[in-house]
Amino acid sequence: MYGFEAMTFNIHGGYLEAIVRGHRSGLLTAADYNNLCQCETLDDIKMHLSATEYGPYLQNEPSPLHTTTIVEKCTLKLVDEYKHMLCQATEPLSTFLEYITYGHMIDNVVLIVTGTLHERDVNELLEKCHPLGMFDSIATLAVAQNMRELYRLVLVDTPLAPYFSECITSEDLDDMNIEIMRNTLYKAYLEDFYRFCKKLGGATAEIMSDLLAFEADRRAVNITINSIGTELTRDDRRKLYSSFGLLYPYGHEELAVCEDIDQVRGVMEKYPPYQSIFAKMSYGESQMLDKAFYEEEVKRECLAFEQQFHYGVFFAYMRLREQEIRNLMWISECVAQNQKSRVHDSVVFIF
Amino acid sequence: MEEELNPNQSSEEEEDSQDHQRNENSRSSKGANQELEEETEEKVVQFLDSMDSYLILMDSLSSSLRQGWLELASARYAMGGSRVTSALFDLKLHPAATTLQVTELAGESPPQDPMVKEPHFSLSRWSSSGEEKCCSRETEFEEDELQKKNSTFVLRHRGTSQHYVDDECTSKGSPQSPRTVDQVQRERSKSLLIFGTLVSPKLRAAQSSFETALETLVEIANMRSLMLSAHSQIKQDMDGTVE
Repeated sequence: MYGFEAMTFNIHGGYLEAIVRGHRSGLLTAADYNNLCQCETLDDIKMHLSATEYGPYLQNEPSPLHTTTIVEKCTLKLVDEYKHMLCQATEPLSTFLEYITYGHMIDNVVLIVTGTLHERDVNELLEKCHPLGMFDSIATLAVAQNMRELYRLVLVDTPLAPYFSECITSEDLDDMNIEIMRNTLYKAYLEDFYRFCKKLGGATAEIMSDLLAFEADRRAVNITINSIGTELTRDDRRKLYSSFGLLYPYGHEELAVCEDIDQVRGVMEKYPPYQSIFAKMSYGESQMLDKAFYEEEVKRECLAFEQQFHYGVFFAYMRLREQEIRNLMWISECVAQNQKSRVHDSVVFIF
Repeated sequence: MEEELNPNQSSEEEEDSQDHQRNENSRSSKGANQELEEETEEKVVQFLDSMDSYLILMDSLSSSLRQGWLELASARYAMGGSRVTSALFDLKLHPAATTLQVTELAGESPPQDPMVKEPHFSLSRWSSSGEEKCCSRETEFEEDELQKKNSTFVLRHRGTSQHYVDDECTSKGSPQSPRTVDQVQRERSKSLLIFGTLVSPKLRAAQSSFETALETLVEIANMRSLMLSAHSQIKQDMDGTVE
């Protein structure tokens, strides 16, 4: 019953909630970002990060560093923390934690399938996969010729199997089919995650519903903007939107027919939470939209920590770390390209 | 007496005519020198102009490339590192989307002199839809051509260009049918398909910046060719004057 989590939550979830709150206090602060933004080289960045929790992961990396190396090592830290929490978790928290990684699993499947279509070596592709999305038979994806084989040979034994029912066809895999497969899988995953959180009830359902609804709405906007000028039809576009969220269903109907960024703005400004996001951008501009959405997402995820005894803190922490890694990637790229004046274009401060 | 005077008179006349001829020679040589100087000045001005244009183009290239790389990083930020990665490049054999045509201008310089040939470079973009064969000019280059100073710029194609050597393709810069904006846009989107069908506008912006950089590179090659040609002409003139 909602409101009485305080009585029972700590029995199974108290230790891990304390762990995740401890991890949250290790996130980089504005002072850390200011120091990083003033670095001249990637070695300077490594030196500054050595004083943070990323230190042990970067200290043995030889110079010259590359931006992808920094991102890889920082991601390893996140993976270690996640695996520690997962092995300590009991049901239903363990299932909740597994749900968080299904998005990465989908990305990895699409990476392997696309790379195989382009005649790339499987081992090279496996190195580029996100570690949180790995599963045992992932290398076997390379032998599938169409989606039916993909499902039958590999994915039937993975957590993604239930999401495949909507996109099983015998059509050969090509770039358009793969993109539709990616978005259809992700839509099914989000809806399943949303139903699972609703079933958990209580504060978890309330907080996670808000966070997942925002994720669904942001996806809808990104799909709309990215499909402008492509061969994706309006009906196909509509099918890729999730069946929940603030924009469902009327916003989706309007977004499906948008032909340019200003029409998207016109649709989104009818919804007060998104009015402030689009107010930051001038007409015809979409460059700052990603940063504006990330800022809104970070704000909501920080608010999740204001309440206790729910699983939303785990989801929020994972997303905040991923945002931090994105920030580090951007700062590293600006430093490596000697374009430090543009560093604040995309850095989202978490605290 | 008159006989004595006559030889003197004829010698004076001879001297006069010689003086007159000498004056005319010096006047015509002064005129020729002046013309020569004007020509040399013109060549020097041409050389300096081409050098100025070359430097401006280099600056423009640097700016386009910087913008392109930053937009690519921005696309990676928006779409994720696994979607914008070199691991997705297509290794299958396919025709190049862009080819380079090289023509040698029959200019003022004598064709026997290899130092002053002026190759002219031009891009043919979005020409590979499988409908046209890739008439890559660089396949006609002999190795000795490649050793020339005004170097031949060869665009490296994915997939070796030997696969597209066609004996029937003999035209120098074969004429292409005019392409509509839609076709070009389609070809442009097709080249981004390796990253997925729904890509961020930032990736398209990066593509546009790199296209601009490629055009600038070809302009730089042409300008450099012009500059080196002007320089060698001036050097020839100077060597001629010294001798």
